[in-house]
Amino acid sequence: MLEAMEPLDEDAKLMMRYRDGDADAFSTLYARHKGPLYRYLLRQVRNAGAAADLFQDVWSRLVATRSRYEARAKFATYLFHIAHNCTIDFFRSDLKMRHTARSDDAEHQAEPEVPEYQRPDGIAEFAEQQSALLAALGALPQEQREAFLLHEETGLTIEEIARVTQVGVETAKSRLRYAIRKLKKSLLPAEIPVRSRYGSERFEQHAINGHARRLG
Amino acid sequence: MDTPDDLDEYLGGDSALSRQYRRESAPAPPHALDRRVLGLARAREPDARGTARRLTPYLAPLAFAASVLLSVAMVLAIVFGPQTTKRVDDAPRLVRVAAHTDASTNPPLNRRLQLYSSDPKLARAPSAWLADIAALRRAGRDSEADAELRRFRSAYPDYSTGDLAIQR
Repeated sequence: MLEAMEPLDEDAKLMMRYRDGDADAFSTLYARHKGPLYRYLLRQVRNAGAAADLFQDVWSRLVATRSRYEARAKFATYLFHIAHNCTIDFFRSDLKMRHTARSDDAEHQAEPEVPEYQRPDGIAEFAEQQSALLAALGALPQEQREAFLLHEETGLTIEEIARVTQVGVETAKSRLRYAIRKLKKSLLPAEIPVRSRYGSERFEQHAINGHARRLG
Repeated sequence: MDTPDDLDEYLGGDSALSRQYRRESAPAPPHALDRRVLGLARAREPDARGTARRLTPYLAPLAFAASVLLSVAMVLAIVFGPQTTKRVDDAPRLVRVAAHTDASTNPPLNRRLQLYSSDPKLARAPSAWLADIAALRRAGRDSEADAELRRFRSAYPDYSTGDLAIQR
């Protein structure tokens, strides 16, 4: 899928050094990409705990498959291709879990065992504590949100976004265009809702701290 | 409908939307997660990885050869193994002791005695006959041993019994 088109970028060279046994190269690579990757995952799944699990899963896969790494494209497309696959797996399992929970609920009339963040009150709280832009981002269809995040967090071009998400260039372009149109509406003064007294910063830091405690 | 210029402007990186997004908070992974990932990355030894890569091309043929060898061994064991083992196990111990030189091919002593008793004209090798008699003697079946000895003497009157323990 990833074709040899671009010259080797600095990150690809670091990854090749890591592949050949230079652990320090990984540290540099990690420092460069951990923020964008984490925000991509956090804003995709909209839950700090799930994002942290996926974050670790992405890097684990990268480490486990490093011996097969070949610098055929920009490193970011490689990393976020893994992240895209992990996210898709997450959404599939999440959907299946919710479907099972609904079935159980219908059969037993019992409260479904769903994560806190999926409960209606949790979702409402999450939405309330977002800025207008992040709330609008969260409200986008997943594919459009992903296209926007890939461009904003990593600077990937439309062609690279298409490669990462395994769709055609026109599809990627269309997704990004729709995302921009919807997000721009959230910036209009008349449509900006009253911001939460907590603000997004506080929510996200709260979520991070909570997950850090969970990790011990 | 959005105009193409909006998308171009956005992709240029200087749109109001991008600026606003960059003003938003930029959460980072917790330090515990950093430590875990970095530890994971360092946990894999390069030498071990190199060894694995070198061995990988040979693993499949080796596994195939081992499977074939095991299959052949199992087939041979099924075809030949149980019959040989069963014959030895089924035979009375006294037969195996008495006829230890030819244990794998001799039928059990009782069946042989019955066979030869039913047809005295059947020939039997003197050494095997004497071995059977000695086995009967050791088993305490003296009357049968005596009868067999008499038949032996009538069949081979001049055969030297040597030191074999066939006499009561």
